[in-house]
Amino acid sequence: MVRRAGDPPPRILYGVIELQHLTKRYGGTLAVDDLSFAVAPGHVTGFLGPNGAGKSTTMRLILGLDAPTSGQALVNGRRYTSFRKPLREVGALLDASAVHGGRSAYNHLLCMARANGIGLKRVVQVLEQVGLASVARKRVGGISLGMKQRLGIASALLGNPGVLMFDEPVNGLDPDGVRWIRDLLRSLAAEGRTILLSSHLMSAMALTAERIVIIGRGRLITEATVAELTARHRSLEDAYMALTSGSLEYGAA
Amino acid sequence: MKAVLASEWLKLRSVRSTYLILGIGLSTVLLGLALAASAAGMYDAAPPTQQARARIADLEEAFAIIPQLCMGVLGTLAMTSEYTTGMIRTSLALVPRRWPVLAAKSMVVGSLGLFVGVLAVFGTYFAARGALGDRFSGAYATAVGDRVPLLVSLSLTVLVFALLGVGLGALLRSAAGATAVIVALVYGLPMIIDKIPEPWSERLGSLMIGALPRQITGDIIATSVYGSSLSPPVAAVVMVAYATVPLTIASWLLCRRDA
Repeated sequence: MVRRAGDPPPRILYGVIELQHLTKRYGGTLAVDDLSFAVAPGHVTGFLGPNGAGKSTTMRLILGLDAPTSGQALVNGRRYTSFRKPLREVGALLDASAVHGGRSAYNHLLCMARANGIGLKRVVQVLEQVGLASVARKRVGGISLGMKQRLGIASALLGNPGVLMFDEPVNGLDPDGVRWIRDLLRSLAAEGRTILLSSHLMSAMALTAERIVIIGRGRLITEATVAELTARHRSLEDAYMALTSGSLEYGAA
Repeated sequence: MKAVLASEWLKLRSVRSTYLILGIGLSTVLLGLALAASAAGMYDAAPPTQQARARIADLEEAFAIIPQLCMGVLGTLAMTSEYTTGMIRTSLALVPRRWPVLAAKSMVVGSLGLFVGVLAVFGTYFAARGALGDRFSGAYATAVGDRVPLLVSLSLTVLVFALLGVGLGALLRSAAGATAVIVALVYGLPMIIDKIPEPWSERLGSLMIGALPRQITGDIIATSVYGSSLSPPVAAVVMVAYATVPLTIASWLLCRRDA
């Protein structure tokens, strides 16, 4: 069968993220402490926790950027570092500003696509999907943070992966953009993808996610559905406050 | 590997600094031509007794410092810009084995280094040869074939600097740090080594990158600021080491350090 370069391979989107006793120690600090949970396909899973709780570190460990001290993180049953074309398995947005300001959005995506054997057609497709087609040729240094977030989302979608991770993707987006990303994430989940979303915006999270994982000081605090959490507390925000009150790293006395 | 090469080639092509650096590196030829033309004018205006004593340095050797520094900086920036922008995390997430990123970057920057080196060195030589004719006791009137080994050897130093830049950039992860080391290797160290007592001045001076082309081809001249105590094969090994040792250590670290 001949496959054109622009088309991602046809396959079932269902994916899964599994953390097994994942632990990461930097010098004397335990950033992630024996963390075990699974993220299932078909809905958005919210990833919550105070600043310094270890959310970003966990995502870096899943992406093989940092090596775990012990335990492991598996994506679709495999370690991330074993993938030869990882963009087709996992798409991630960790830091939207981590792009070369002198490169255009189009070239930035094309650099990424080339490294994983993805064609030009797909680059144009995701640029249109995130609404950046009109500024695609502009240098990234000159576009707004909200547009950079859209570029980051485009880069996560590039390989049409079954597993997606987003770290604070709504920072810098206008209300329109916030609603857009909520709808986008929900529709991606409805296609059967696995989505892990970290955010500090509780009201938006309550509208987007179906399941919630809360961590604090690197440890799992709770894993529940939004419905379960809001049944026991007045809102997701109240539930979050009550559950994380003991594990604030940086809080006013 | 082909995919990573395509990606790294586009990374280099899609930022303006690359073109600026290449332009400066290649402008060497124009500078060489200008200096040779002005030297020819001065020579023609001088009385015959002075003409007989007048000497001129090998301009392609003296000016090689420009493409050397340019390509060293290009190699450095190709690597450190990934760290300063945070793009390195994306690059390493795309290629989890990691070393292919460094290998591809080295190949791409190295190819440009070789290209610029050959163009700048040979270009400057032929520009000077054209402008000077048989002036300065026929310094540029010898057969081209006799000069080719040294010109090739000089061109290769530009490739060495390009790879050294990538290696140091990956090791130090800081453009300022890596550039400082490169400038020190070109300028600072030779000046210091020139002032230390013998036999160390000669021994260490022979190890400087600028000293290697003539030691490799055996074109030793008395006026050199460098030492000349290495045999051609040893000098060649030292030159290869400059390019590969930092890269090898950097590759080992890249695969082990957290990104």
